[in-house]
Amino acid sequence: MSRSRLMTVSERWFRLLLCLYPVDFRDDMGDAVVEAYRDRARDALSRGGLTRLVSVWLYALFDSLRNGSGERARPAASWRRSGNWGRDAELVTRRLLRARAFTAATLATLTLGLGMFAVVYTAVHKILIAPMPYRDSGDLYYVWRDYGPNLDLKKGALAGSDIAALQQAGGVIEGAVGLQRFLGGIFSLREDTDPMEIAVTVTSPALFDLLGITPALGRGFARNEVGPGHPLVIVLTHELWNRLGADPATVGRDVRLNGRPYTVLGVMPPGFRFVRNEPIGPAQRVDAYVTFEVNLAETNPKAAACSGLIRARRGTAPEAVAAAVEAVGRAVDERDFSGRGLKLYPVGLKTDLVARARPALLVLVAAGLVLALMLTVNLASVLLARAAQREHEFTVSRALGANDGAVMRAMLLEGGLLGLLGGALGALAAVWGTRALVAVAPLDLPRREAIAIDWGIAGAVILLGLLLGLLAASVPALWAARTSLSFLLASSAVRGGGGHGRMRRGMIVAQVALSLVLLSSGGLVVRSFERLLRADPGFKPEGLFTVRVRTPPEFFPKPNDAIGFQDRIQAALAALPGVTGAGAASTLPLIATTGQTTITIPGAPGNTGDAERDALLVDVIAARAGYVEVMGMRLLAGRAFEESRPSGVFEAIVDSNLARRFFPGANALGARIPYEKDWLTIVGVVEQARLYDVHQDGRPELYVRAEDWGVRPLFYVVRTERPPHTLLPEVQAAVRRIDTRVAVGDPRTMEQIVDDTLRQQKTSAALIVAFALGALLLAAMGLFGVVSASVTRRRHELAVRLALGADHPRVLRLVLREGALLVGVGVLIALPGIYAAGRLIRGVLVGVSPSDPLTLLAVTLGLALVTLLTCYVPARRVLTIEPAQLLRQ
Amino acid sequence: MGMDRARRRTDERPALRPVEFHILLSLAAGERHGYGIIQDIEARGETMVPDVGTMYRALARMLESGLIEAAARRRAPDADDERRNYYRITDGGRRAAKTEARRLEMLMRAARIEGLLPKETK
Repeated sequence: MSRSRLMTVSERWFRLLLCLYPVDFRDDMGDAVVEAYRDRARDALSRGGLTRLVSVWLYALFDSLRNGSGERARPAASWRRSGNWGRDAELVTRRLLRARAFTAATLATLTLGLGMFAVVYTAVHKILIAPMPYRDSGDLYYVWRDYGPNLDLKKGALAGSDIAALQQAGGVIEGAVGLQRFLGGIFSLREDTDPMEIAVTVTSPALFDLLGITPALGRGFARNEVGPGHPLVIVLTHELWNRLGADPATVGRDVRLNGRPYTVLGVMPPGFRFVRNEPIGPAQRVDAYVTFEVNLAETNPKAAACSGLIRARRGTAPEAVAAAVEAVGRAVDERDFSGRGLKLYPVGLKTDLVARARPALLVLVAAGLVLALMLTVNLASVLLARAAQREHEFTVSRALGANDGAVMRAMLLEGGLLGLLGGALGALAAVWGTRALVAVAPLDLPRREAIAIDWGIAGAVILLGLLLGLLAASVPALWAARTSLSFLLASSAVRGGGGHGRMRRGMIVAQVALSLVLLSSGGLVVRSFERLLRADPGFKPEGLFTVRVRTPPEFFPKPNDAIGFQDRIQAALAALPGVTGAGAASTLPLIATTGQTTITIPGAPGNTGDAERDALLVDVIAARAGYVEVMGMRLLAGRAFEESRPSGVFEAIVDSNLARRFFPGANALGARIPYEKDWLTIVGVVEQARLYDVHQDGRPELYVRAEDWGVRPLFYVVRTERPPHTLLPEVQAAVRRIDTRVAVGDPRTMEQIVDDTLRQQKTSAALIVAFALGALLLAAMGLFGVVSASVTRRRHELAVRLALGADHPRVLRLVLREGALLVGVGVLIALPGIYAAGRLIRGVLVGVSPSDPLTLLAVTLGLALVTLLTCYVPARRVLTIEPAQLLRQ
Repeated sequence: MGMDRARRRTDERPALRPVEFHILLSLAAGERHGYGIIQDIEARGETMVPDVGTMYRALARMLESGLIEAAARRRAPDADDERRNYYRITDGGRRAAKTEARRLEMLMRAARIEGLLPKETK
């Protein structure tokens, strides 16, 4: 290549490199820089040839990269290039500080709105989005039984034999563990001292490996520490260990569980909060872990009481996992159910856990987003109003040569600054907000303890604030920049006019529409909550106190010992001062833990003759005499269980659903039900005391006498005339007097239990209503501003009207009509939104249709009333117009 | 406004940066074009010869702050007679260079006293 050609190439390269410099530097110095490089390149070429030249090229590249970016970042230069942001920021700050009331009001609105949004966002993020704190948690699945045609049970527990089958499956199923409730968790550090009630889970030894968590102290279970005859070992959670005094020497010691010695192997880390998902009802907290004392493969496949947890090979697609689990299910079906269609299916660990909370959370997020949108529109209209006040200033500054960019920049800065501050304050407010939410959140809300603002969320909220501010400011910025100079001068001559009126009215319409959407959802949710509050759960919760007192077989090996103990406890409780009655049962209403069985009633009139359809899956509750009365359940026919037990007869009480199913229009009393190789005789029919939901019946219920079947009831209920919770010390003392080895657990009033069930609905109802009222307030404020400005602007016109003979009421109506029109248009626009919102919230509504006309009408009327009132206040100012005086000015 | 800001900055500046002092030194001897200044610096035995970009950024700033000014663009005999931008030192630049030279001299003296440099032999 010729020398001159090489120089040309070099020059091209140097020119290309110039692009790395900012444009103004390029304009001033670019040619000179290229020339200097040319000089250097020529020197290099003549001294060292091509290699030397290439090194100059490379050198020029590094030089330009370094100095180009350096020059771009230089403060003075960047100022010159992009305008005086610093000075603008200074002016905006000063302007905001001058208008204290405006700034404070705007920031307060933003803080509240963004704070509320942040709280909801935090909850949703932590519950629905953030991964569970286990290794590759996406590969963990729960497995459940779908009984198919065998039973009307779509989500049932697994049998131990199913777990064993999953463990042997191999392929994509890397590991499987069973989890089961440990019956009776009476725990003490030493024999017969300070017994306490804890929640224990029985599991396979591989649980912690499967989750990928190692204990903080000591070790987890070894592979062989399971099955019949193995030494008893226990692993504690950090919370329990703390409760026991956080003594590191606890590891390796023997503790007592139901009176038997267990060796403490280890303590889990502080953040480890595994819960055991159950086929029905909320997930269960765990305080300690022990391993199965049976060989899972040898358990009865019909006795299903395990939750199954599996880990799939890393990154396996959910469909592949499902296929593998189904294959195991088919084998189980063949082997244990003679191929009658039992299925196994996996559900993602988190999906399964949050399934119950998900619909309500999604509704809240949607409400939060609508509120954020509303805040944007509101801020935009407020900023627009402010911009309108500064029309004159804009006109002057533009006359003095400010360009569109400068005017827009000032507006954007103002909005951005407000949004940024609002976001920061909102994030700060949300720190307390989330704490408040956790305090009122349902106790079984999954991952409740994880709900707290973190830096990421705070950053997201601040960013949202900034975006919202900029978005809001872009409306007045565009307006201010687009409006022509002459128009501004002309309209600012009459002070306070301006072409922004239509835009502002449009925004009011949008606000009215958005707030109506939120209000309608809020109204529906409140109505549904009120339905829940008024729902009759089938018992009378007032004045009921409940405790759990276990009767472990280790302490009471013979059934008669247990019955005697229970008799004594029940009698002692009934004898407490202020107590009118005591009863006991294997479960309590609304806590959703009980066993099921399938019953048939041969010869019942309701039978269809189809054997499969005549077998009914029912919840079995073992109750002692007195339970039905103390609970305040309604007896529809027959009688409850009495103190004296007739010999040779096993009594049963059925609920009205079961009676109706088998004895439509006939008397169920006296009918006999085959039950555990014996026969039950129906002595009474009751209305269902609901086990799952306050507002709707669950499965049919079958009550058997606890004493007849050696069932050891857990829950004692006393009815009292005193405030129920004050009974606890006396109950504890009474139990201790009877037996020092057992503990009183889970003291709750029945009203608390009802309350806990309603908590989720209550929390989401409260939040949605808060959102809706906030939205209404925003809309009202906006409307107030518009009408107020309109009165100011139209003063002259109105004065002329008055002077020409219109009376004041007529003029008032004129102004009001403007507001009413905005509201009316807003309502019309809201209709599709209300429809969409209704579809979204359908899942969380109870007993209310999403298009409930009464609610929607009431909400709309309420909105119209409030907004018209806010119109009326500023509109009344027209009454003070003195036409003669005004026109003279 | 921009000039005010820039000038204030020059006055407040405690010392010239090395590259700026080099430029002023070269221009004190007469008008130079950019690559000429670099060659001067190389000739002075400076170990850290500034990059082209660094020098032109310095030139731009010094033009802005009035330490130097642009001279007429003309043919450069040392660059194949191509036309080049020439720069010239201003009175302010000369003052600044003198101040810097005095400062350096003072530092030098201090370095001798502290034994960092050999004592001057006269």
